[in-house]
Amino acid sequence: MIALPSIAFGGFSGSAKGVTARQVGGRSILSLKCYPTGVATGAQLARRASLKKISKSWVALSNEQRADWDRLAEHASGASVFGQKAELSGMNLYVRLNANRVMAGEAVMADAPAAQVAVPNVVYGSVAVTPQYMALGGIKHESAPFKLVVKMSGSQSAGISNGWSKTVIITPGMEDDWGEADVTTLYMKTIGVEPTTGQKVFVEAYWLDTDTGFAGQVAREAVIVTGEAPVQRRVRVTMDTLDPTEDNNVTTIDVDFSTGAPVAQFNAVCLGHSNVASSIVHLDRELPTEVIGTGICLGRANGPDGKIVAQSYMVWVRNYYGKADMTFAHRGGYYVAKTECFGAGVMY
Amino acid sequence: MFNSTGNNFGAGQIQFKDYQAENYVVLNSKFTFDPTNADYQACDQLEIYVPDLSIDRSAVGAVFIRFVEDQHWSWGDSVYDGGSILKSWVKDKNTIVIEKQPWFDQNGPLIIYILTLYPQLNQGVNTIKGTQQRLTVTTEGDYLRFGYETFVVVFEHWAFIHMLISGCTYAYRESLWEATLEELPADITADVPICGGGNQFHPECDGMAEAHIENRVFSNQRRVMGFWDTGHDPFVYAFLVRDNNE
Repeated sequence: MIALPSIAFGGFSGSAKGVTARQVGGRSILSLKCYPTGVATGAQLARRASLKKISKSWVALSNEQRADWDRLAEHASGASVFGQKAELSGMNLYVRLNANRVMAGEAVMADAPAAQVAVPNVVYGSVAVTPQYMALGGIKHESAPFKLVVKMSGSQSAGISNGWSKTVIITPGMEDDWGEADVTTLYMKTIGVEPTTGQKVFVEAYWLDTDTGFAGQVAREAVIVTGEAPVQRRVRVTMDTLDPTEDNNVTTIDVDFSTGAPVAQFNAVCLGHSNVASSIVHLDRELPTEVIGTGICLGRANGPDGKIVAQSYMVWVRNYYGKADMTFAHRGGYYVAKTECFGAGVMY
Repeated sequence: MFNSTGNNFGAGQIQFKDYQAENYVVLNSKFTFDPTNADYQACDQLEIYVPDLSIDRSAVGAVFIRFVEDQHWSWGDSVYDGGSILKSWVKDKNTIVIEKQPWFDQNGPLIIYILTLYPQLNQGVNTIKGTQQRLTVTTEGDYLRFGYETFVVVFEHWAFIHMLISGCTYAYRESLWEATLEELPADITADVPICGGGNQFHPECDGMAEAHIENRVFSNQRRVMGFWDTGHDPFVYAFLVRDNNE
């Protein structure tokens, strides 16, 4: 780095040979022109392009809009540098908040939010990282407009204590699913390699207010990858758990046995089969014995003929030869082959 | 028991019977609203505002919606009541949501029956199984018959009931029915819809009648004209709060 004394210690500002000096909030800041290293991922390229686009759109704002952003920036603080509170310009804040919004799939906002928004901290119970399952569990749910951003690193040596610079965004904004943020698929899509047992993965998470772009405090965990998840997995029947080699008579299914109550939660669009008033799904695995039995649920026809007839369905759940199946057998009401079953039903 | 604090679709105050556990609630209510009122027409979903519930959100459950329709003919009057089920969930501690569907907006006033258990998911414990008891239904003269899967599952504070009505002695087809549900706890009082029965004027939704349950007696007088149509098997499906929750 080229650091001329006059640049470093004076009231100098300007650029020389890739070094830029500027005065911000009474502090002298020297920065090198940065160039990305390594091969950029598609997501990185998209984010850089979006930042460029957002920066350029600043000039299209009216004077009044820019003044509002400047006013908000006076009250918003940036990342602390050397123990001093860094100040943000209106444009910095505009780019930063809009980059967050765009990341979460929202449009660029021209008008500054009325005020800085208090974003909650991520409260969670566990972080599980195994080669087959990566998730935060026990998350205290936050309603819209908050979405959870999760950043993770690839597997690092267990001896590394600071790998936070290696984290990349795994999900730019997801809702927890009943306290669980399962990022397994997203991790594999982004990192491309399963975590290695015994190595360390760095995990960061924060809530993002998608209305304003403000982000909350980052929660950090350095997790040693284990072979088995340290938490009990939810018992569910979803499309992912069905045996693709079998004929499954549903277009969607999500039956959840994790209620801790005397009911299972049913959700399936049944299609019927072989002119019998029932639909069967075949799982690629067994279900725990405690959920094997008989249930019941309501259904509402949703066939192409516009029928909305209410029906009742018995649901038989059984294990056989290392797998399981589930039958939705019509009982009450007029049978319509394509029916959406939903709601809670007792099991016995 | 509690009352609603408001709603966004122009219904009056709504009274609930409730059992509230740490991770689920069972709610019973019946109320009427007018789909022509401005509040209903302006809302995207029906919201009922209530005092603090024990849970702050739930999975999707089902509630019943019913309309009443009579037709007058030269030979007499006929009943063409109908209805279906709607999705419903607890949005937050103070809001119960019911999906809005336009299907019966021309058939108002409409009746909603909430006979629903609203569960939460990912509770760290699997479904707890209950004990099914076949329901012995007795009538004087044994004029009503029920299908095999007519049963109750009884818990300390609530019960689930499923009834399949399969036949009736011809002489009693138009009569007031009064049947005793032997295994149902006596501390349950509720109006419950009987879904099914053919509906010539509304084949898209079929019929929907209403029965009253009190002190183990299931009673019903008004039935849709196609109640006994083959393949339209009338049934009852309800989570019922027991009157022992004060």
